[in-house]
Amino acid sequence: MQAEQLKGHLDSLLLAALEDGPRHGYAVMEALRESTGGRLALPTGTVYPALHRLEAAGLIAGRWSVVAGRRRRCYTLTDAGERALSGRRAEWRDFAAVIGAALEGKPWPSTA
Amino acid sequence: MAEHSLITDYHAALAAELPAELAEEVIDGLIEADAKYRQQGLNADSAARAAIREFGEPSVVAAEFTQAAPAKRIARRLMVTGPVVGVCWGAALIEARAWQWPVPGFIRVVLGAVLAGSVIVLLMAVLTRRYRRVHRACTLACIGLAAVDVLALTSVLVGAPSFGWLVGAAACVSAARLAFVARSFRRVLSWS
Repeated sequence: MQAEQLKGHLDSLLLAALEDGPRHGYAVMEALRESTGGRLALPTGTVYPALHRLEAAGLIAGRWSVVAGRRRRCYTLTDAGERALSGRRAEWRDFAAVIGAALEGKPWPSTA
Repeated sequence: MAEHSLITDYHAALAAELPAELAEEVIDGLIEADAKYRQQGLNADSAARAAIREFGEPSVVAAEFTQAAPAKRIARRLMVTGPVVGVCWGAALIEARAWQWPVPGFIRVVLGAVLAGSVIVLLMAVLTRRYRRVHRACTLACIGLAAVDVLALTSVLVGAPSFGWLVGAAACVSAARLAFVARSFRRVLSWS
């Protein structure tokens, strides 16, 4: 899956990768790679600016630590980030269900 | 484990474009990737090359940071809202016959020059793809526009014999922009 196709979804993917606990940038990318079976063709270096954008939006919080003599920045999901992730999941389920129903030619499941 | 010269070069290329902390964070990840490829059995050269291929060229990473920089977003917002502020003041000053106000000529010249300079650097901040230039240009634009708003508000308070609701509305718009610039300025500085 190419970076172009991920536009608009990268933020949700990054938030989801931080759901299990704090991770540094490369660990976030590794978690994404693992959860998608390595099908994301995204330059790893571009994940860092996206993490900074999410931090500026208050959805994640970054903190420096020292590991193996190197400074490392780890990110944690904030409360606002958890709410955003939950909202985006719900939106994605709706979107996938609607588009899936249309593409498969099946009727939209009625809840009435 | 010593850092491979390719990674050192990558670090230098990033550090030339980005603040030290941003480059340092990316390099930490690049070293992790390099170590992963070495563990998979690649020799030092191949591992470093594979890690760099995975991360993308330094120019690509720097360009992404530039696009994500708060200064870029702030500059775009100021660029979009600028004409609104301008129209408000234009209408207000025409209605109030501002050319008859006892405002010294040099204040008018300074106001015009600072406004024109601010618009030019704001345009540079929106258009440039270089991180440091975006920050410098946005910082200058924030200072310039704050000066314009303060000068405009002071001119109204000191120079206007009386003013109607249009001038009041323009003053409110300027005050709102001043507040936005003051808040944004801190964010711009924290990312530079």
